[in-house]
Formats: sequence, C-alpha cells, structure tokens
Amino acid sequence: MDLLTGLLTTAFLAGGVLALAAMGEVLAERVGVVNLGAEGLIAMGAITAVATVSAYPSPLVGFLAALCVGALFGALFALATVTIRANQVLCGLALTLIGTGLAQTIGKSYSGMPVAATFQGVEMPLLSKLPVIGPAFFSQNILVYLIYIILPFGLSYLMFRTRHGMNMRAVGENPAAADAAGIPVTLFRFGYVCAGAALAAGAGAYLVLAFVPAWSDGVVAGRGWIAVALVIFAGYRPIPAALSGLLFGFITALGFVGQARGWPIAPAFLSMLPYAGTIAFIIVPVIAWQRMRRLMAAPAALGQPYFRSVR
Amino acid sequence: MIDLRSLSRRGFLNMAAAGSASLALPGLVRSASAATALPAVNEKDAVIGFGHVGPVTDEGWTWSHHQGVLAVKEKFPNLKKVLEVENVPYSADATRTYRQFVSEGANMIFDTSSTGDFLHEVVRRAKDTAFMECNGHVLMDNLGWYYLAHWYPTYVLGVAAGHLSKSGKLGYVASFPVASVYTSTNAFLMGARTVNPSATCQTITINSWFDPQAAAQAGTALIDNGCDFLFGIMDEAAYLQVAEKRGVWAAMWNTDIRRYGPSSYVSSIIIDFKDYYVEQVRKRLAGEWTPTESLFAMGAGVDRDAWGEKVPADVGKAADAVRTKILGGWSPFVGELKDSKGAVRLAKGQKMSEMDLYNWDWSVEGVTGL
Repeated sequence: MDLLTGLLTTAFLAGGVLALAAMGEVLAERVGVVNLGAEGLIAMGAITAVATVSAYPSPLVGFLAALCVGALFGALFALATVTIRANQVLCGLALTLIGTGLAQTIGKSYSGMPVAATFQGVEMPLLSKLPVIGPAFFSQNILVYLIYIILPFGLSYLMFRTRHGMNMRAVGENPAAADAAGIPVTLFRFGYVCAGAALAAGAGAYLVLAFVPAWSDGVVAGRGWIAVALVIFAGYRPIPAALSGLLFGFITALGFVGQARGWPIAPAFLSMLPYAGTIAFIIVPVIAWQRMRRLMAAPAALGQPYFRSVR
Repeated sequence: MIDLRSLSRRGFLNMAAAGSASLALPGLVRSASAATALPAVNEKDAVIGFGHVGPVTDEGWTWSHHQGVLAVKEKFPNLKKVLEVENVPYSADATRTYRQFVSEGANMIFDTSSTGDFLHEVVRRAKDTAFMECNGHVLMDNLGWYYLAHWYPTYVLGVAAGHLSKSGKLGYVASFPVASVYTSTNAFLMGARTVNPSATCQTITINSWFDPQAAAQAGTALIDNGCDFLFGIMDEAAYLQVAEKRGVWAAMWNTDIRRYGPSSYVSSIIIDFKDYYVEQVRKRLAGEWTPTESLFAMGAGVDRDAWGEKVPADVGKAADAVRTKILGGWSPFVGELKDSKGAVRLAKGQKMSEMDLYNWDWSVEGVTGL
C-alpha cells in the first residue's frame, strides 16, 4: 500500500474516536455546559458495546446500546449540573472517575476476549475506486461515514442554519436573555448534555467495535481528555471538530510511519508531533488573523449554571 | 510493566563492571552477599505484601505476578495476611504504599515492577522486612532483586521469525528505549539473522507499556512499510489483532493470548513467577532468606509458548533445536557484534555475561528506530 493511502486509512480510523467524542462535547459546550466526563463516558460506551455484542452479536445493536447508556449517564450528569446546578468541573471529573471505574469493574469478566462482532468495511460503489482517497476513506466501515460526513454536516446545519440552532447557541451565550425570549433553557441544556454524552459513549463503542476489537482496562488511554481539548481547538464547531479529530489521527499516524520508515528524527519528537501540532494550530491563526480570536471564542456562559432568580 | 527508565541508566556502569566479574550462572547471577539471614517467622504471624504496576486483570505482566501471589496463598494457607496493591505508580505514592505495608507488619515485600529509589527509601528504614524488587539493580542487607533472562527465548523466537518472514523485514512495537527493549530487539534480530543474514528489525516506540490504540497504529505502520512479522513488549494484544487482520505473523509477551489472532500467533515469551515466589516466602518463614540477585533461566520462569497453529512443524523444530542447544549451556551472544552505526562493540569470540545482557544499552547492526 502506498504511503499516503496507509497514512490516511489509519488517520480516519484512529481519528474517529476523537472526532465523535469531540462532536459530543461541542453539543454540550454550545449550550453552556462543560462535560469533563468524556473519558469516563468513552469507557462506559466501550464496555457496554463489548457486553452487548457478546450477548447479541450485532455491532449495530452494540453501538445503539452504548448510545443509550451514554444518554443515561448524560442524564445523571445533567441532573447534577443543570437541574441541581452543581459545579460542572467537579461533576465532570466525578463522571470520569465513575465511568472509568465502573467500566473496569464490569470489564473484568470481558477482559481477554476478542469482540464477538465488529463493523466491517463497506466499499462505496465507484467512489472506492478513486486513487488514494478511495481505499483510505470510501472502503471504511459505516461508522466512519457517520462520523466524518453525516454528523458534522448535519449538526452544523442544525446549529447555524435553523432557528432551533440559534436558540441553542443563545442558551450557551446568554441564558438570561434566552430565558426572557421564552427559550426553555433547562430543557435545552438537559437535552444536549444527554445527546453529547451519548455521542461520547458512541465513540467508546466505535473504539472497540471498529478500531481495537477487544476490551482491556485502560483501552481509552486518555483520548477523552484530548477530545475535550480538541473542542477548543475547533472553535466549538462540529465540522472543525471532526476535522481536528482526523488531523490528530493523521499526525499520530505520521509519527508512527516516520519511525517505521526510519526518518532521522528522534522518536520522542515524532510522538510529540500531535501535541505540538495542536498548539501550533491554535496559536498561529489567532496571531496571524485577529478576527479568529472572536470566531474561536467560547460560548459566553460556558461553565456557568443558570439561576433564573438571580438574573 | 517493567520500569527501568532512569534507574537502569544510572546504575549501568557499576553494575556492568560488577557483573562481568561474576560467573554467569543461569538462575542465580551472584550468590548471596554476606548479610545474615532474617530470623524465622511463624506462618500464622507472617504478613506478605505485593505491589503491582498495573491491574491484576491486565492478562500480562501483573496478571502473571498475581498468579504467583495465588500460588503463595495456596502453599501457605495460614499466612496472617497477604497484602496486594494494584496500580502502584512510579512516584512518591510508591513509597507511601510500601511504608503502609511495613506499618501493617509486613515481613516480606515484593515490588513487582522496579520503583527504584521510591522503594529503597522504605528498604533503608525497615531493616526487619525482606524486600524483593523485580527488575531491580541494587542489593542491600534486606533487598534483593530478580528478573527474567528473556533474551534466550526471544532468540529462539527470532530463529522462527527468520524462517517465517518472507520479506526479511521484522517489525517491533517498543515501549521505551530501555535495557529490556534493547536486549529484546537485539536477541530477536540475532536469532533471525542465523536464518536470513539480511534480515532487519524496525522498531517503533510508543512511550507506553499499555496503549492498545497506539500499538495498533504502530503495527499498521510497520506492516504498511513491508514488515511481515511483528514482535514487541506490550501488555495487551492490539498488534496481534492487526497482524491477524492483515495476514502477517506476530509474537507476543507475558502470556498465551493466541485467541486474539489464532492464525497469526507464532509464540509468546511466557513468564512464570509461581515457584520463585513460593520459594522466597518459604525461605523467609524458615529464617533462611538472604538478599539475592536472580535472573530466571529459560525453562525456569521464562520460556517460549507452544507454537501457534499455523506455524509449520519444521520451523518449530528448527527453533526448538536452538532452544535445546541454549538449554545445554550454549550462548548465542558471542562476538563479533557491531552496533547499528557499524562500530565493533564486542570483539570476536568475546561472550556477553548475563549482566551485560541485562543492561544492554545499544542496538546491534540491523536494528533501527531505537
């Protein structure tokens, strides 16, 4: 396989976890809720998918089950942060610990078994014949299309082209004003936190059903935290979130390919690439182009619980 | 898993010098120092502690040590307490964990993944407790160490790889550039080169003993680059699954995990601490324990696994012939050896001692990427 095709194939596969989790995080943060529980949600999604598939060998059912469990945990988190208005950072960290620990406990009996059924590649007619991008993208499993085409464009349309999306962004920017305009702030926040958590758990399901087909303790390996960081990098937008996941996957793959081909660069520097790259991509546009500062800004009410009585 | 990072470097020169002076007996590197044995302990009053680097469910390094713990419990059912702590980090938390063991009255403590100075701080203060450090480098009045001579079975796997690889390009998924990894890659390629003198070994370091996602990507990159045999020191099976999917061979570490990739699986470096732990605890209880340095010989704690189902019988036989030769006392680690830059590092006919192998810190010719 030629160099670029191999690179892109791995990039699409590896970036999928980050892209999906980052899009979930975009949903929550756009309505003003920071969900630091991504790491725990990915772990829960992964173990749910493994457990479901071992009982009923259909990857799609496993993926859907993970979405449901994610939404359930999202509801718990929303109950604490939106309804009870507890500190979002603390609750998020708690969610990470609970999710990782629970997944570990449940995972004990599944550890060491290959996953019973996984998503297989689907070759798109005609498109899979394209050079480079054909084998790299249009021969992947069905979730890859969901992650890189359907979700980013769908969510972007929803957020920036519909009235519902404008309401959603208003809730994240200024909940008091949104409330005054008759937008149900609590409902919006609750709903999108759940949806975002479901996507994060979906990322876990994708991880074990399409990328590393087995459960083991620590399989998530910190990718949840990277997803949270990517959201800032992507300026809280779904399409850039998916692309930044891909970019991160690409740069990581580049580091490995560099080592495999014996490029005369120290491995330590090659493994530094993704992180150095992220910093560079955040800093450079903002310095070069002042307007980016405003475009990349976080929703104004991010992290603040909304109290109607003290507005 | 094995944590050598800074420690092995610092101690390298001293240890290598001391080591080369000693007899390279398989099993026991150097006999016990002059330290007097700690007094005997009644089994009913004895407390034994184990600190692990990972979770006991990891199916790899820590799982293997846990099997040793279970063997101790079975052999000595009347022990007052067996303490076991998982996920001991390489930090001051390790000191705290081992101090806790001591304050609970531990008579003997095993650190199953060298925590170095963090452990030694406790060792110096608890003179009545016997300490054993896996992959350690320091001997004290109440501290010994043990590790595996994994280079011999690795060499045997290398011979098999030389037969099985068509391209002669071997891939290695490495964790950190530490002695265990240098020894492993070198022994692996030296074995392969006895069959295919032009074989090479390309390594990728992923900066973790356990990161399935990174290991899967590293495996893919190696295969994309033409490697058709993967090996590595990892605590999980990700690159075996990649190999299975792409139809290339793979060899593993720690335990038999062939079910992850039955048609790619060649063999594993199998590790076993059961007998050693039982023996050490017995000595401690009987009042015979003195600090020792041990490297488990092949067949006594470390070995190759039964060959995979797709490995042709004659390949297994050829590799096993080398294994038998090593068991008979022959060492493949004899000069002339050149490093990866082409400089002669070991003169013709000169033999590497066990301590040289334990502390190997350069790559042989043909190994790239470390």
